[in-house]
Amino acid sequence: MNKLLHTLLYVLIAGLVLVLVAREFAPSNYDSEFDIESFAELPVQVGGRIKPLDSVARNTLLILSARQKVITPEGNTLSPIEWFMDLTMRPEIADTYRIFKIEFPDDLGFAGLAEQGQRYYSFNDIQPYFDELHKLYQEVHPEPKKRSPYEKQIVDLNQGLMLYHRVMHSLHPIGDSQRLDSLVDEYQTYASIIGPGMVELRKQQAGDEYDAKILNSFIFFGDEYLKLSQTAHMRVVPPPPPVDPLEDWKNVGLELLDVMRGDGLSPYVTSYAALTMAYRLDEPDAFNQEVHELRQRFIGDFPTHIDRVHFERLFNDTQPFYLSMQLYVLVFILVCISWLCLRKELGQCAFWVLILAFVIHTLGLLARMYIQERYGVFVTNLYSSAVFVGWGAVLLGIFIEKIYKNGIGAAKASLVGFCTLIVAHHLAMSGDTLEMMRAVLDSNFWLATHVTVITLGYSAMFLAGALAIAFATFGVFSKHFDKNTARALGGMVYGITCFACLFSLVGTILGGIWADQSWGRFWGWDPKENGALMIVVMGAIFLHARWGGVCRERGLMALAICGNIITAWSWFGTNLLGVGLHSYGFTDSGFMWMMAFISSQLFFIAMVLLPWRYWRSDFGRSYSIKARKRIIEAAEEA
Amino acid sequence: MKNLFKFFSSLKLTVVLLAFSMALIFFGTLAQVDTGIWKTQKDYFESFLVIYSVPQQAALYDYLHWLHIPLPGGYALGGLLFINLIAAHITRFKMTWKKSGIFMVHFGLILLLLGELMTDLLSVESQMPVDEGGRSNYSQAFRQNELVLIDRSHPDHDTIHAIPSKLLKAGKTIEVPDSPLSIRTVSYYPNAEIGRATNGKAVKSPATQGAAVKMGIIVNPKEEVFAENTINTATAYVEVLGPDGSLGIWLVSNVIDDRFPPQMVSLGDQSWEIALRFTRHYYPFEVELIDFKHDKYPGTEIPFNYSSEVKVHHNDSSKNQKALIYMNHPLRYEGLTFFQASFANNDKTSIFQVVRNPGWVLPYISVLLMGLGMIVQFGIHFFKFLDKQSSK
Repeated sequence: MNKLLHTLLYVLIAGLVLVLVAREFAPSNYDSEFDIESFAELPVQVGGRIKPLDSVARNTLLILSARQKVITPEGNTLSPIEWFMDLTMRPEIADTYRIFKIEFPDDLGFAGLAEQGQRYYSFNDIQPYFDELHKLYQEVHPEPKKRSPYEKQIVDLNQGLMLYHRVMHSLHPIGDSQRLDSLVDEYQTYASIIGPGMVELRKQQAGDEYDAKILNSFIFFGDEYLKLSQTAHMRVVPPPPPVDPLEDWKNVGLELLDVMRGDGLSPYVTSYAALTMAYRLDEPDAFNQEVHELRQRFIGDFPTHIDRVHFERLFNDTQPFYLSMQLYVLVFILVCISWLCLRKELGQCAFWVLILAFVIHTLGLLARMYIQERYGVFVTNLYSSAVFVGWGAVLLGIFIEKIYKNGIGAAKASLVGFCTLIVAHHLAMSGDTLEMMRAVLDSNFWLATHVTVITLGYSAMFLAGALAIAFATFGVFSKHFDKNTARALGGMVYGITCFACLFSLVGTILGGIWADQSWGRFWGWDPKENGALMIVVMGAIFLHARWGGVCRERGLMALAICGNIITAWSWFGTNLLGVGLHSYGFTDSGFMWMMAFISSQLFFIAMVLLPWRYWRSDFGRSYSIKARKRIIEAAEEA
Repeated sequence: MKNLFKFFSSLKLTVVLLAFSMALIFFGTLAQVDTGIWKTQKDYFESFLVIYSVPQQAALYDYLHWLHIPLPGGYALGGLLFINLIAAHITRFKMTWKKSGIFMVHFGLILLLLGELMTDLLSVESQMPVDEGGRSNYSQAFRQNELVLIDRSHPDHDTIHAIPSKLLKAGKTIEVPDSPLSIRTVSYYPNAEIGRATNGKAVKSPATQGAAVKMGIIVNPKEEVFAENTINTATAYVEVLGPDGSLGIWLVSNVIDDRFPPQMVSLGDQSWEIALRFTRHYYPFEVELIDFKHDKYPGTEIPFNYSSEVKVHHNDSSKNQKALIYMNHPLRYEGLTFFQASFANNDKTSIFQVVRNPGWVLPYISVLLMGLGMIVQFGIHFFKFLDKQSSK
């Protein structure tokens, strides 16, 4: 009976995990006859690298909506690429989608805009207020750092609308349905008018008689495409073969303008026009045929890039970090239940789910390396540092769990893993997280050593801090927290802190050596360097306080939690200051979160420093009794 | 005495000193928002005592302006930690295998601190701009100035008499070695604003000679600035004295440079060019910039690579060398290191950071020692711990 129950339990958990995994790994099946997947993989050059349209669609949507889906007025859910297709090919419909996230619509003061409980608005909703918005935007403080939250919202909305407009014009000119339905003809007319147009233009300039009709339509095209070249957001037109991967691509407008110089029109431009026409006329066969041709052309021109672009689209679809985030939650819940009942069975399940989550987390990191072509480099920006801090903490947590087998390692690992991935998720709102590295930072060797090691130091500090928080909460609240558990936890915190010390120290000095190599100064007291040094000093304080007996359990735990504050400061606080070479990602709301985090840690420090008589655990009470005895003895002696 | 020794060797002292170090680093980071890295470094880390106060721009200034936090400076803490460490090793530590890791870590730390001290005291940083196709045999330190008297009478070479600006103290007279001249400083301003008097107004100026008189230049002293990428306009009025008395008072400033006609001091048939300029370091070689490249990622303005192809022409031609200097790949030559620091002039001029740091290898040794030491020490602990676990 018991055995059956256990089997049932395992099956249940396995089923749950499978559902979670399947949801992310399932091949996206678009309910459409159009070959959306192939379209999503068409290449574009943005931010210095070639990536699939899918990535641009996602990043744009993240910036505008802070999420990766669109809900149409009919209630259908669109993926980013489907939304992108509507935006560029059927803009009249895309304008009705509510994709602009406005956190406080009432505050804008646009009469009639704000709806109760609605934070998403469509282009059409906002359009009547463009004049007002423009006026407000003019009055905003020119210095971004000095803007109030209200002004920031105005700036964000304004910039969002611009981005929307520019992305809309990515593939071809935009106009009424008549124009969009005959784009290919428009290009043909344009191509055929260039020759005669030039002739008429020269005649006009020479003061001879000229054909005004031909000249005017020639000038009309010129104006249109000049505007388009200034608006179009993306470089979708590769240079003609043979191709140098370091050459600039052109946007559609520029390519069309350059036809005037006698260059032939790139087949990519006509293909996108044909795609739009096919999509608008609801002709899937023609659409799919055109996508296929575009793709073949790209493969021919860039044989070494197609795999990476394809892989990036898969990576986007799978969202491995999102999946491991969900699994970490599951681990945490399982461990918590295991402390109440079925300790061994659930504990084991939790451990294996943790391993699975960790593997997926690792795959995600490896995938990023492959896409960026930087093997061994885990951290390239603030976003990836968050992902990697979590990864390191989980790795250490797995070791602890393996040694102690009491669930604490797994619980804390999953908690830190989850929290850091949440942080990463929010950091990703600003756009592409696979951006190029500036020249100063462009060194795979140092990125792989210094940055990796120091970030692992962060991981260890956070894990030690999380374990100390466990000590505080269990010690104060849990009756079952006895001397052995306390000693085990103390040992974990000590071991992890040793590890943190080693990694922060070596990482910091490696950073110094990098600095010495690249600008001749081993140490420059730059805020980020100081932050790293503070972590090392914190670790040193902890170790010396322990070895010298300066602090006992409570003091050491307080120090470990203090380590969380120091690490958070080193990681984010120094970026908030905005000075020095390392301030690579200023996040504004970051400051509030930082304060919230520090307060929470101070709360835990206060908790762990509570006098023993307030501790409800056996462990705490035994101290409290000892202390009382000592007082009584002293009193009796007196 | 014994008590004193005990105090200095105690771990409690270590913890307290480390805690102070942490506070010092923290406030030394905050202060940078206000005063920039360079000055903060001098105030906080290369000093014995520092007092932190809330900067005026800070949001909470109105509430916290009374707050002044005195802290021991970097030299004080470093020195005390050093004494603490040595004392502890003398009294408490016995050289055993079990403690070998700790010894290595601490020895590495001592090397690191010494290396940092050496860098503070001995390293020299300056910049060398070179145009494409051009050559340079000197570099300039933009935070230091020197008063120079240049004798250009020799056809092959110039003779330069240089006086560091820190010797220019108002009222003091300095003899210029190997020349009949001496210099009396009338006034010296570390930073100033220099402009021309508006028409008609009489210029109140001690100057009696040179550009100041001809062009009606006026000087407004200003606070010294220390933020990154700022330059102080060092300015002085100096009186040049010959064997028979004063030759006149000149205005010199580091903005009155090659763009202006040289200011001349004459005595008999001898003459010297007088100028205040950024301190120059001359080398027995010339650096020729053959080509500077500034690449960007395709379709963006994000820099991808800066690199300078150079050729070094040494007086001793057997030491001539070609090199490509780019990010993270400096040229080490004759005890100097040349880094790609910046560029100017539409990518036609490359600017190198030139560093002489005799202590540069110490950190490399210390990282090895400290890393190894920690691995040994924690390794011993860890395996002992695993033994205990498995014997349970």
